[in-house]
Amino acid sequence: MAIRILLVDDHPVVRQGLKTLLEGRAGWEVIGEASDGAEAVEKAKDLKPDVMVLDVTMPKMNGLEACRLLRTQAPRLEILFVTQHDSPQMMREALDAGARGYVVKSNAARDLLAAVEAVSQHRVFTALNGRDAGSQ
Amino acid sequence: MKLRILLADDHEIVRRGLRALLEKHEGWEVCGEANDGRDAIEKALQLNPDVVIVDIGMPNLNGLDTTRQLLQHDPHFKVIVLTITDSDQVIREALDAGARGFVLKSDAARDLVSAVEALQNKRMFFTPRVNDLVLAGFLEKGHTVARNEAPKLPTLTAREREITQLLAEGNSSKEVACLLNLSTKTVETHRSNIMRKLSFHSIRDLVVYAIKNNLIQIEIPPPPTKAPTGPTAA
Repeated sequence: MAIRILLVDDHPVVRQGLKTLLEGRAGWEVIGEASDGAEAVEKAKDLKPDVMVLDVTMPKMNGLEACRLLRTQAPRLEILFVTQHDSPQMMREALDAGARGYVVKSNAARDLLAAVEAVSQHRVFTALNGRDAGSQ
Repeated sequence: MKLRILLADDHEIVRRGLRALLEKHEGWEVCGEANDGRDAIEKALQLNPDVVIVDIGMPNLNGLDTTRQLLQHDPHFKVIVLTITDSDQVIREALDAGARGFVLKSDAARDLVSAVEALQNKRMFFTPRVNDLVLAGFLEKGHTVARNEAPKLPTLTAREREITQLLAEGNSSKEVACLLNLSTKTVETHRSNIMRKLSFHSIRDLVVYAIKNNLIQIEIPPPPTKAPTGPTAA
Protein backbone atom coordinates (compact mmCIF):
# COMPACT_ATOMS: atom_id res chain seq x y z
CA MET A 1 0.00 0.00 0.00
CA ALA A 2 1.35 3.42 -0.95
CA ILE A 3 1.84 5.79 1.99
CA ARG A 4 2.87 9.45 1.65
CA ILE A 5 4.83 10.59 4.68
CA LEU A 6 5.91 13.99 6.03
CA LEU A 7 8.95 13.84 8.37
CA VAL A 8 9.30 16.42 11.13
CA ASP A 9 12.39 16.65 13.35
CA ASP A 10 14.78 19.52 14.07
CA HIS A 11 17.87 17.33 13.49
CA PRO A 12 18.57 16.71 9.77
CA VAL A 13 20.62 13.62 10.63
CA VAL A 14 17.65 12.07 12.43
CA ARG A 15 15.40 12.90 9.46
CA GLN A 16 17.93 11.24 7.15
CA GLY A 17 17.98 8.12 9.33
CA LEU A 18 14.18 7.94 9.43
CA LYS A 19 13.98 8.54 5.69
CA THR A 20 16.35 5.69 4.77
CA LEU A 21 14.36 3.37 6.98
CA LEU A 22 10.94 4.40 5.62
CA GLU A 23 11.93 4.46 1.97
CA GLY A 24 13.23 0.91 2.28
CA ARG A 25 9.57 -0.12 2.19
CA ALA A 26 8.14 -0.47 -1.33
CA GLY A 27 5.48 2.12 -2.09
CA TRP A 28 6.24 4.35 0.88
CA GLU A 29 7.40 7.83 0.00
CA VAL A 30 8.77 10.66 2.11
CA ILE A 31 7.12 13.58 0.32
CA GLY A 32 8.57 16.33 2.50
CA GLU A 33 10.51 17.29 5.61
CA ALA A 34 10.12 20.00 8.24
CA SER A 35 12.36 21.09 11.10
CA ASP A 36 9.81 22.58 13.52
CA GLY A 37 6.11 22.45 14.35
CA ALA A 38 5.16 25.62 12.47
CA GLU A 39 6.82 24.41 9.27
CA ALA A 40 5.10 21.04 9.74
CA VAL A 41 1.66 22.68 9.88
CA GLU A 42 2.42 24.70 6.72
CA LYS A 43 3.77 21.71 4.78
CA ALA A 44 0.88 19.48 5.84
CA LYS A 45 -1.48 22.03 4.28
CA ASP A 46 0.42 22.04 0.98
CA LEU A 47 1.47 18.41 0.65
CA LYS A 48 -1.48 16.59 2.25
CA PRO A 49 0.46 13.55 3.50
CA ASP A 50 -1.22 10.39 4.78
CA VAL A 51 1.06 10.13 7.83
CA MET A 52 3.17 12.65 9.72
CA VAL A 53 6.14 11.38 11.72
CA LEU A 54 6.56 14.07 14.37
CA ASP A 55 9.14 14.85 17.07
CA VAL A 56 8.04 16.39 20.41
CA THR A 57 10.87 18.78 21.33
CA MET A 58 11.48 21.27 18.55
CA PRO A 59 12.12 25.02 18.27
CA LYS A 60 9.43 27.60 17.40
CA MET A 61 6.50 25.24 17.89
CA ASN A 62 6.79 21.88 19.63
CA GLY A 63 5.20 18.71 18.30
CA LEU A 64 2.31 18.65 20.77
CA GLU A 65 1.15 22.13 19.78
CA ALA A 66 1.52 21.27 16.09
CA CYS A 67 -0.48 18.08 16.63
CA ARG A 68 -3.37 19.95 18.27
CA LEU A 69 -3.48 22.45 15.43
CA LEU A 70 -3.35 19.74 12.80
CA ARG A 71 -6.21 17.83 14.39
CA THR A 72 -8.50 20.68 13.49
CA GLN A 73 -6.85 21.72 10.21
CA ALA A 74 -6.20 18.27 8.72
CA PRO A 75 -8.50 15.76 10.42
CA ARG A 76 -7.67 12.95 7.97
CA LEU A 77 -3.94 13.14 8.62
CA GLU A 78 -2.60 10.44 10.97
CA ILE A 79 0.15 11.55 13.36
CA LEU A 80 2.86 9.32 14.80
CA PHE A 81 5.20 10.73 17.43
CA VAL A 82 8.82 9.55 17.34
CA THR A 83 10.49 11.03 20.38
CA GLN A 84 13.28 10.81 22.92
CA HIS A 85 10.74 10.93 25.78
CA ASP A 86 10.30 7.42 27.14
CA SER A 87 7.50 8.42 29.45
CA PRO A 88 3.89 7.20 29.89
CA GLN A 89 2.83 10.77 30.81
CA MET A 90 4.23 12.17 27.58
CA MET A 91 2.65 9.35 25.61
CA ARG A 92 -0.73 10.12 27.20
CA GLU A 93 -0.31 13.79 26.37
CA ALA A 94 0.55 12.93 22.75
CA LEU A 95 -2.51 10.71 22.34
CA ASP A 96 -4.69 13.35 24.03
CA ALA A 97 -3.34 15.88 21.54
CA GLY A 98 -4.73 13.69 18.77
CA ALA A 99 -1.82 11.47 17.74
CA ARG A 100 -2.53 7.89 16.66
CA GLY A 101 0.90 6.50 17.55
CA TYR A 102 3.89 6.94 19.85
CA VAL A 103 7.34 5.41 19.42
CA VAL A 104 10.55 6.05 21.39
CA LYS A 105 13.46 7.23 19.26
CA SER A 106 15.90 4.71 20.69
CA ASN A 107 13.60 1.94 19.39
CA ALA A 108 12.61 3.62 16.14
CA ALA A 109 14.61 1.21 13.99
CA ARG A 110 12.60 -1.65 15.53
CA ASP A 111 9.14 -0.06 15.80
CA LEU A 112 8.84 2.62 13.14
CA LEU A 113 7.70 0.55 10.16
CA ALA A 114 5.04 -1.33 12.12
CA ALA A 115 3.88 1.94 13.68
CA VAL A 116 3.52 3.77 10.34
CA GLU A 117 1.67 0.81 8.90
CA ALA A 118 -0.72 0.71 11.87
CA VAL A 119 -1.50 4.43 11.99
CA SER A 120 -1.95 4.58 8.20
CA GLN A 121 -4.75 2.06 8.75
CA HIS A 122 -6.15 4.25 11.53
CA ARG A 123 -5.03 1.89 14.29
CA VAL A 124 -3.36 3.06 17.49
CA PHE A 125 0.29 2.01 17.94
CA THR A 126 2.23 2.74 21.13
CA ALA A 127 5.57 1.44 22.35
CA LEU A 128 7.72 2.59 25.25
CA ASN A 129 11.08 1.11 26.25
CA GLY A 130 10.84 -2.20 28.07
CA ARG A 131 7.23 -2.66 27.06
CA ASP A 132 5.91 -4.60 24.08
CA ALA A 133 4.60 -2.60 21.19
CA GLY A 134 0.83 -2.41 21.18
CA SER A 135 -1.43 -1.90 18.21
CA GLN A 136 -5.21 -1.79 18.23
CA MET B 1 42.35 3.02 -0.17
CA LYS B 2 39.09 3.97 1.52
CA LEU B 3 38.91 6.07 4.66
CA ARG B 4 37.36 3.84 7.32
CA ILE B 5 35.01 5.36 9.88
CA LEU B 6 33.57 3.90 13.09
CA LEU B 7 30.25 5.39 14.26
CA ALA B 8 29.22 5.30 17.92
CA ASP B 9 25.76 6.51 18.93
CA ASP B 10 23.13 4.81 21.07
CA HIS B 11 20.35 5.63 18.58
CA GLU B 12 20.28 3.35 15.55
CA ILE B 13 18.24 5.93 13.67
CA VAL B 14 21.01 8.51 14.16
CA ARG B 15 23.66 6.00 13.04
CA ARG B 16 21.61 5.34 9.89
CA GLY B 17 21.44 9.06 9.18
CA LEU B 18 25.15 9.55 9.77
CA ARG B 19 26.03 6.54 7.65
CA ALA B 20 23.88 7.80 4.76
CA LEU B 21 25.55 11.20 5.04
CA LEU B 22 29.13 9.88 5.19
CA GLU B 23 28.80 7.17 2.57
CA LYS B 24 27.68 9.73 -0.01
CA HIS B 25 31.30 10.85 0.08
CA GLU B 26 33.39 8.93 -2.42
CA GLY B 27 36.25 7.05 -0.83
CA TRP B 28 34.75 6.81 2.66
CA GLU B 29 33.17 3.77 4.26
CA VAL B 30 31.56 3.18 7.62
CA CYS B 31 33.48 0.10 8.76
CA GLY B 32 31.51 -0.42 11.96
CA GLU B 33 28.87 0.84 14.34
CA ALA B 34 28.74 0.84 18.14
CA ASN B 35 25.82 1.55 20.43
CA ASP B 36 27.70 2.68 23.54
CA GLY B 37 31.16 3.75 24.63
CA ARG B 38 32.33 0.33 25.73
CA ASP B 39 31.22 -1.20 22.43
CA ALA B 40 33.02 1.65 20.60
CA ILE B 41 36.32 0.90 22.34
CA GLU B 42 36.04 -2.81 21.62
CA LYS B 43 35.20 -2.21 17.93
CA ALA B 44 37.89 0.48 17.52
CA LEU B 45 40.52 -1.93 18.81
CA GLN B 46 39.25 -4.67 16.47
CA LEU B 47 38.72 -2.58 13.35
CA ASN B 48 41.42 0.08 13.71
CA PRO B 49 39.38 2.79 11.91
CA ASP B 50 40.91 5.99 10.54
CA VAL B 51 38.27 8.14 12.25
CA VAL B 52 35.98 7.43 15.22
CA ILE B 53 32.82 9.51 15.60
CA VAL B 54 31.38 9.35 19.13
CA ASP B 55 28.18 10.78 20.54
CA ILE B 56 28.80 12.49 23.85
CA GLY B 57 25.66 11.19 25.60
CA MET B 58 25.92 7.42 25.36
CA PRO B 59 24.86 4.97 28.07
CA ASN B 60 27.33 2.79 30.00
CA LEU B 61 30.32 4.91 28.96
CA ASN B 62 29.83 8.46 27.72
CA GLY B 63 31.59 9.91 24.68
CA LEU B 64 34.18 11.93 26.60
CA ASP B 65 35.38 8.99 28.66
CA THR B 66 35.29 6.84 25.53
CA THR B 67 37.61 9.38 23.85
CA ARG B 68 39.97 9.41 26.86
CA GLN B 69 40.12 5.62 27.00
CA LEU B 70 40.58 5.23 23.24
CA LEU B 71 43.52 7.62 23.28
CA GLN B 72 45.02 5.84 26.26
CA HIS B 73 44.93 2.62 24.23
CA ASP B 74 46.39 4.30 21.17
CA PRO B 75 47.10 8.03 20.85
CA HIS B 76 46.80 7.76 17.07
CA PHE B 77 43.03 7.37 17.14
CA LYS B 78 41.35 10.42 15.62
CA VAL B 79 38.10 11.16 17.41
CA ILE B 80 35.26 13.51 16.50
CA VAL B 81 32.83 14.24 19.34
CA LEU B 82 29.18 14.79 18.43
CA THR B 83 27.20 16.76 20.95
CA ILE B 84 23.83 18.38 21.44
CA THR B 85 25.30 21.25 23.45
CA ASP B 86 28.19 23.65 22.89
CA SER B 87 28.47 24.87 26.49
CA ASP B 88 31.92 26.09 27.52
CA GLN B 89 32.30 23.19 29.92
CA VAL B 90 31.56 20.51 27.32
CA ILE B 91 33.92 22.12 24.82
CA ARG B 92 36.73 22.32 27.39
CA GLU B 93 36.18 18.70 28.40
CA ALA B 94 36.20 17.53 24.77
CA LEU B 95 39.48 19.39 24.15
CA ASP B 96 40.94 17.99 27.39
CA ALA B 97 39.86 14.48 26.43
CA GLY B 98 41.86 14.80 23.20
CA ALA B 99 39.10 15.04 20.60
CA ARG B 100 40.31 16.37 17.26
CA GLY B 101 36.87 17.35 16.09
CA PHE B 102 33.80 18.76 17.79
CA VAL B 103 30.49 18.93 15.89
CA LEU B 104 27.03 19.89 17.08
CA LYS B 105 24.48 17.20 16.29
CA SER B 106 22.06 19.81 14.99
CA ASP B 107 24.73 20.94 12.48
CA ALA B 108 26.05 17.46 11.65
CA ALA B 109 24.47 17.41 8.19
CA ARG B 110 26.47 20.56 7.37
CA ASP B 111 29.67 20.12 9.43
CA LEU B 112 30.41 16.44 9.80
CA VAL B 113 31.75 15.91 6.29
CA SER B 114 34.03 18.96 6.73
CA ALA B 115 35.19 17.58 10.08
CA VAL B 116 36.10 14.18 8.64
CA GLU B 117 37.84 15.87 5.69
CA ALA B 118 39.85 18.00 8.13
CA LEU B 119 41.00 14.95 10.10
CA GLN B 120 41.78 13.12 6.86
CA ASN B 121 44.12 16.03 6.03
CA LYS B 122 45.73 15.89 9.50
CA ARG B 123 43.93 19.01 10.68
CA MET B 124 41.40 19.51 13.43
CA PHE B 125 37.79 20.68 13.10
CA PHE B 126 35.80 22.49 15.72
CA THR B 127 32.49 24.24 15.56
CA PRO B 128 33.07 28.03 15.27
CA ARG B 129 32.14 28.57 18.91
CA VAL B 130 35.16 26.51 19.98
CA ASN B 131 37.45 28.87 18.11
CA ASP B 132 36.00 31.78 20.13
CA LEU B 133 36.56 29.89 23.36
CA VAL B 134 40.13 28.91 22.51
CA LEU B 135 40.90 32.49 21.51
CA ALA B 136 39.36 33.82 24.71
CA GLY B 137 41.47 31.36 26.72
CA PHE B 138 44.59 32.43 24.83
CA LEU B 139 43.90 36.14 25.42
CA GLU B 140 43.34 35.49 29.11
CA LYS B 141 46.72 33.77 29.48
CA GLY B 142 49.14 35.85 31.48
CA HIS B 143 46.40 37.79 33.22
CA THR B 144 46.96 37.61 36.94
CA VAL B 145 43.37 38.41 37.90
CA ALA B 146 41.71 35.26 39.16
CA ARG B 147 38.67 34.25 37.14
CA ASN B 148 35.39 34.04 38.90
CA GLU B 149 35.02 30.28 38.74
CA ALA B 150 33.10 27.94 40.98
CA PRO B 151 35.37 26.01 43.33
CA LYS B 152 36.40 22.69 41.72
CA LEU B 153 35.31 19.39 43.21
CA PRO B 154 37.98 16.74 43.78
CA THR B 155 38.92 14.92 40.59
CA LEU B 156 37.61 11.41 40.09
CA THR B 157 39.75 8.76 38.44
CA ALA B 158 38.67 7.33 35.07
CA ARG B 159 37.35 4.21 36.82
CA GLU B 160 35.45 6.30 39.37
CA ARG B 161 33.87 8.36 36.57
CA GLU B 162 32.76 5.17 34.81
CA ILE B 163 31.21 3.85 38.01
CA THR B 164 29.57 7.21 38.75
CA GLN B 165 27.93 7.19 35.32
CA LEU B 166 26.67 3.62 35.72
CA LEU B 167 25.30 4.27 39.22
CA ALA B 168 23.65 7.50 38.07
CA GLU B 169 22.02 5.58 35.22
CA GLY B 170 20.27 3.49 37.86
CA ASN B 171 22.48 0.39 38.02
CA SER B 172 23.03 -1.33 41.36
CA SER B 173 26.57 -2.05 42.59
CA LYS B 174 26.05 -5.67 41.54
CA GLU B 175 25.01 -4.64 38.02
CA VAL B 176 27.98 -2.27 37.75
CA ALA B 177 30.29 -5.08 38.86
CA CYS B 178 28.85 -7.33 36.18
CA LEU B 179 29.23 -4.66 33.44
CA LEU B 180 32.84 -3.89 34.38
CA ASN B 181 33.94 -7.43 35.22
CA LEU B 182 34.74 -6.46 38.80
CA SER B 183 33.65 -7.93 42.12
CA THR B 184 30.69 -6.30 43.87
CA LYS B 185 33.01 -5.59 46.80
CA THR B 186 35.43 -3.64 44.57
CA VAL B 187 32.56 -1.59 43.14
CA GLU B 188 31.28 -0.86 46.64
CA THR B 189 34.75 0.31 47.67
CA HIS B 190 34.88 2.62 44.64
CA ARG B 191 31.37 3.81 45.45
CA SER B 192 32.32 4.73 49.04
CA ASN B 193 35.47 6.49 47.80
CA ILE B 194 33.43 8.50 45.28
CA MET B 195 30.87 9.53 47.93
CA ARG B 196 33.63 10.44 50.37
CA LYS B 197 35.67 12.42 47.81
CA LEU B 198 32.63 14.40 46.72
CA SER B 199 31.13 14.65 50.24
CA PHE B 200 27.87 13.17 48.98
CA HIS B 201 25.39 11.32 51.14
CA SER B 202 22.83 10.03 48.66
CA ILE B 203 22.53 8.60 45.18
CA ARG B 204 20.46 11.68 44.33
CA ASP B 205 23.56 13.87 44.87
CA LEU B 206 25.47 11.55 42.56
CA VAL B 207 22.83 11.78 39.83
CA VAL B 208 22.85 15.60 40.00
CA TYR B 209 26.67 15.55 39.84
CA ALA B 210 26.58 13.20 36.82
CA ILE B 211 24.16 15.49 34.96
CA LYS B 212 26.09 18.68 35.82
CA ASN B 213 29.36 17.11 34.70
CA ASN B 214 27.98 15.65 31.46
CA LEU B 215 28.48 12.05 32.51
CA ILE B 216 24.83 11.52 31.67
CA GLN B 217 22.44 13.67 29.70
CA ILE B 218 18.73 14.14 30.07
CA GLU B 219 16.16 15.53 27.69
CA ILE B 220 13.81 18.00 29.29
CA PRO B 221 10.22 17.68 28.07
CA PRO B 222 8.49 20.78 26.73
CA PRO B 223 6.42 22.66 29.32
CA PRO B 224 2.81 21.49 29.46
CA THR B 225 0.63 23.52 27.15
CA LYS B 226 -3.05 24.02 27.56
CA ALA B 227 -5.01 21.81 25.19
CA PRO B 228 -7.85 23.53 23.34
CA THR B 229 -11.27 22.72 24.74
CA GLY B 230 -13.54 20.39 22.84
CA PRO B 231 -13.23 16.79 21.63
CA THR B 232 -9.98 15.34 20.28
CA ALA B 233 -9.74 12.67 17.62
CA ALA B 234 -7.51 10.09 19.37
